Amino acid sequence: MNRSRSQQIVYWSLVILTLLTLSAPTFVVLGASFTSGNIIQFPPDGFSLKWYAAIIGEQNLRDAFGRSLIVAIICVLVSLPTGTLAGIALSKFRIRGANAIQVYLLLPFTIPLIGSGIGLMLAFGDAGLLGNLWPIGIATAVINLPFMIWAVSSSAVGLDPDLELAAQSCGAGPVQTFFSVTLPAVVPGVITGSLLMFILSLNEFLVSLLLVDARIVTLPVQIYNSIRSIITPDLAAVSVVFIVVAMLAIAALDKLVGLEIFLKSK
Amino acid sequence: MQRSPSSYPIIWRVMDVLETTFAAVWPKGGGKFTPYLMLTPAIVLVGTLVVGLLYIGDSSLRVLDRSTFLFSDYWTLDNYIRALSEPFIFTVVWRSLLGAVIVTIVTLMLAFPYAYIMVRTPSSFVRKFLLIALFLPFFIGQVVRAYGWLIILGNQGIVNDVLGLVGVEPLRLLFNYPAVLFGLVQYMLPFGVLMLAPALTAIPEEIEAASGSLGASWVKTMTHIVLPMAKPGLIGAGLVVLTLSLTDFAMPAILGGGTQDFIANAIYDQFFRTSDQGFGSTLALLLIALGSILVGIIFAVFGAGTLALDGSRK
Repeated sequence: MNRSRSQQIVYWSLVILTLLTLSAPTFVVLGASFTSGNIIQFPPDGFSLKWYAAIIGEQNLRDAFGRSLIVAIICVLVSLPTGTLAGIALSKFRIRGANAIQVYLLLPFTIPLIGSGIGLMLAFGDAGLLGNLWPIGIATAVINLPFMIWAVSSSAVGLDPDLELAAQSCGAGPVQTFFSVTLPAVVPGVITGSLLMFILSLNEFLVSLLLVDARIVTLPVQIYNSIRSIITPDLAAVSVVFIVVAMLAIAALDKLVGLEIFLKSK
Repeated sequence: MQRSPSSYPIIWRVMDVLETTFAAVWPKGGGKFTPYLMLTPAIVLVGTLVVGLLYIGDSSLRVLDRSTFLFSDYWTLDNYIRALSEPFIFTVVWRSLLGAVIVTIVTLMLAFPYAYIMVRTPSSFVRKFLLIALFLPFFIGQVVRAYGWLIILGNQGIVNDVLGLVGVEPLRLLFNYPAVLFGLVQYMLPFGVLMLAPALTAIPEEIEAASGSLGASWVKTMTHIVLPMAKPGLIGAGLVVLTLSLTDFAMPAILGGGTQDFIANAIYDQFFRTSDQGFGSTLALLLIALGSILVGIIFAVFGAGTLALDGSRK
């Protein structure tokens, strides 16, 4: 379709402004991590990989990254089955009270993160669970669960119920129907949802901050604690770890389901 | 001729065992409970939040005794009365509300053209590029992004370096209100675009073409056709951006440097600086109430938009 020149100019200048805003921090962090100087500078003062060598030597950063990974894996292990079942149930069945259930399942989004975090901190603290990593994994699963349900339910809508009937009339029992027909149909949603959950959990900052103690800080909390004191280039190098993980996740998402899935109208 | 069961593929036998077990444990006619059973784990998981809310509710009703540092064993509304009468709370709430509204407006103004071009561009390369540029910051996390802004806006940062070249004294670009709002807009852009894009996809391109062929300028087409039809998406995106920025913690903490606290920072300080868990809980509940009221007002005025979980509604 032809669009007028003035429209192109207006839209593209806004898009370019947005692109700059979106990408500036990423590129600056990337650039700053390669500095050979001892202070954060951009453009960097010479090129070196010494800060990458430095972070590999730093036990506390490696440990913090390991803990973030554990939290993210627990989050996926918890939310994948939970969200998949709920997403299928919500999109395939007529449920009495479906609206109330939806409002309830959206609570993780409607309650502000600070509220969820404080509530979980009080509840987990009372149960004597604080100081472990797995409650943080559970917490990140809870606060992001609607993403998982959303992803699954939007791909389950495309499943023709006749397919399941066909499977059953060919002699498949309910279990086999579920695993051979229903589940494969929602796999794109499950992949999308799980990747989102993994990344959001790996990056989760506020709820982590509330649930960790000094012995079990996760990487985002570690970075936050460090930038409040003194900013050294090793932090930029650590941040690049997040950038690389994000790139890998985007590549995986694009390869497995295609990023365009997010443009589809429901 | 009958084959021996052991010659069947292993997967068949596994399935047989599963089906038999399923039939044994599942009551006859239990089909109508299936969806509820499938929802149970999610309902239990979200239940932890409800339990958390009950804890917040309980501690919001207990006041701190400053001489013993113990909480009262009776319930009182003193914390709520205090919250509504302290001027600094009013300042913080006003700062957060105003900030959230500004951030929402700016984010939507930038997200709309971005989503529009992304959906409408004939080039799949441009579309992919815009998608990747959107997902990269989305997947990187708030702390790292705020850290990037610290490098850009700091006293020895890029902006001040460039200004120095043309002879301008270093400006204090960080730790002020605009810096926080700017950081929030950057944080919210991916949410805004991803909420808007499906709504724009749903608008048939032919309608725009028809409007154009009937003589409407692109501005007219935009204001009379596209924007009204994109309303559900705009509401959904606006709501998400509004509530997330109203309740944000990291950007005010990092880019505001303690001088630009939003409500979440005030709550955090009550818990971890002044150790007044009761008052902090009260503020948390008031924030939840404030958010819900805002959402309620917007739902009442504009409708629920795209925020439905069952995937079937527009």
